[in-house]
Amino acid sequence: MNSFNLENQPKINSGFKTPEHYFENFSEQLLAKIGQDEKPVISIFQRHRNWFLAVAAVLILGIMIPFLNKPADASNIDDATMENYLAQSNISQYELVNMLDDADIDALERDLAMDESTLESAIEYNGNLENYITE
Amino acid sequence: MRNIVLNHDDADDVLQNTFVKVFQNLKNFKGESKLFSWLYRIATNEAITFLNAKAKRNGMTSADFQQKQVENLQADSYFEGDEIQLKLQKAIALLPEKQQLVFKMRYFEELKYEELSDILDTSVGGLKASYHHAVKKIEEYMLKN
Repeated sequence: MNSFNLENQPKINSGFKTPEHYFENFSEQLLAKIGQDEKPVISIFQRHRNWFLAVAAVLILGIMIPFLNKPADASNIDDATMENYLAQSNISQYELVNMLDDADIDALERDLAMDESTLESAIEYNGNLENYITE
Repeated sequence: MRNIVLNHDDADDVLQNTFVKVFQNLKNFKGESKLFSWLYRIATNEAITFLNAKAKRNGMTSADFQQKQVENLQADSYFEGDEIQLKLQKAIALLPEKQQLVFKMRYFEELKYEELSDILDTSVGGLKASYHHAVKKIEEYMLKN
């Protein structure tokens, strides 16, 4: 044989056969498989619900903290509280004075009605006079 | 389907997978192609996917795996082909994947080129060329062996 021509040959079948009774139970097997393959769809949110809620809580707190954490307004503090604070703090008179501006100093001015004898007594019995002069 | 995967048990799996896929996707079928072509396309893709996955699981290329399947045909109780039919299957297994598909669908299943074009999404000219090359290679193999 010098050549083999497929079109001129008798038709060659594939050789495969369908098993007998193959399709008798096919429907039942298929329906069972369809039932197995149908998985419930669970969204990412439902699956990780607790994580989402935790993240949301942290974000809300993070946004709210700057609004809740307002600094104390100095004008609302009474004098007694301020004096106690200053007495217990380690701020020196020098540091305290540097914190004052002109408006603060003007506000501290007092007109004292004092006679000469009262002034002499104050100077005589005040042991810290030299410190005040030095400062 | 059996023509593609060669093994009966594999063909059984692929057939069921195909029906499941058709069942799940029937609502998405908009009639852009013929129903027959749509079904056939799903079946073909399922068979190829199955074959490639099985080859990978066995650590082989798809081509090598198919060669092995053909060699097992003689012992397959669901293959009742004679010597020439077995030789033809061996010749087909040596072809590239696309030529195998075209040849099997055209020669064994006698599908028209227009139907093949719809199923394989290839031009009729391309399909005719593939079939022509496939036939030439098969004829050479049959002559030498």
